[in-house]
Amino acid sequence: MSLAMQPQSQDIADLIARCALRDRVAFKTLYERTSAKLFGVVLRILKDRSEAEEAIQEVYIKIWQRADRYVAGGYSPISWLVAVARNHSLDILRARRPVSADIDAALEVPDSGPSPERAAEDSDERGRIEHCLGTLDPERADAVRGAYLDGYSYDELAAKYDVPLNTMRTWLRRSLLRLRECLTQ
Amino acid sequence: MSTSEHTGEDEGGRNALVAEYVLGLLDTNEHERIGRLIDDDPALRRERDFWISRFGALNREYEDTPVPAHLFNAIEARAFGDVIKARGATSFWDSLMVWRGIAAGALAVAVIAVGFHVFQPAPNASTLTTQLVAALEEEGSNVKFVALYDGAGNVRLTALSGEAVPEKDFELWAIQGGNNPVSMGVIPVNERSAVTVPADVMKGLGEGSVLAITLEAKGGSSDGAPHGPIVAKGAVTRI
Repeated sequence: MSLAMQPQSQDIADLIARCALRDRVAFKTLYERTSAKLFGVVLRILKDRSEAEEAIQEVYIKIWQRADRYVAGGYSPISWLVAVARNHSLDILRARRPVSADIDAALEVPDSGPSPERAAEDSDERGRIEHCLGTLDPERADAVRGAYLDGYSYDELAAKYDVPLNTMRTWLRRSLLRLRECLTQ
Repeated sequence: MSTSEHTGEDEGGRNALVAEYVLGLLDTNEHERIGRLIDDDPALRRERDFWISRFGALNREYEDTPVPAHLFNAIEARAFGDVIKARGATSFWDSLMVWRGIAAGALAVAVIAVGFHVFQPAPNASTLTTQLVAALEEEGSNVKFVALYDGAGNVRLTALSGEAVPEKDFELWAIQGGNNPVSMGVIPVNERSAVTVPADVMKGLGEGSVLAITLEAKGGSSDGAPHGPIVAKGAVTRI
């Protein structure tokens, strides 16, 4: 477990803020400090080097364009950057997938309810997610990890664990609820 | 912060759904629908932030992988809006070394040139022997020109595609041997044009020369050297 992230975190937040003010030098510094990490993200999810090289360009263009949106986020600046990279990669994959049968399409989202504690710096939570994943059945914990780190879809997960799609979704949703319970304890 | 002791099934469904959204497990329609709901609801935004933050602790498992060095120029050009629709455009100077060994592209250039030549007014036999052409394009850029030397001191240019960029001009450059690029002036993108070849370019004009178009400030480069990204380039070939 490394302690490197904490002091770096404020620097990254400052660089993002300066990007929001259209500071091109800050953008370059931000790129130099973070691009290897984000390239690791797009490469792992897209699993294709030339696609990843195109995607990383688009990711940084988005970061430049959306820097002003990272102001009051409830998570660390590096998590925001990783989320931009993950989401961009997942958008690319999602666009290729057929729209799946509407398993739960009718599910409505209530517009109020209890909210979690405001998220602290992710680094404070290091170990916490590992602990909570450890309380799940190992296969299900693996499925959650695969969905996050590799961007696996329900179809891919169902194939990987050799269960029907609906079963996979039920598994994962239950696992996420248990995870949430553990994380908010 | 609004809190409640209640933990009903709906709420469970909601929380799982936001987690699924963050993981990227929902299909396109559902993903967009939930995204809009989250945007409009502070409680759902907190829920989203909660998951991003908690899963963020797994980010250290992504292995740092250096990005190929040349990509940053392209990112800058695109992010800062210097090149509209240009993808992967590299800076003029970065490409200079590549150009000096560009002969490999000659075959493709010749094919385009022959196609283009058909549409030219029939030249007489004497000019035909001195005709030189270049097809100018750059991967990722939609700017494409064909340049034809007419044997009488002029380069005629036709844009095949590309569009004008506000507050910017396209500038034509000649590169000969290891020399610095020489400006041949600003060129229009929406019409055919002819450029009189400057005397110093004329001396070295022939196969192996490279023509390039960069995007420069309005009116063209002020100091005689290119500054903007290359939007098209091509080697000069005899036909």
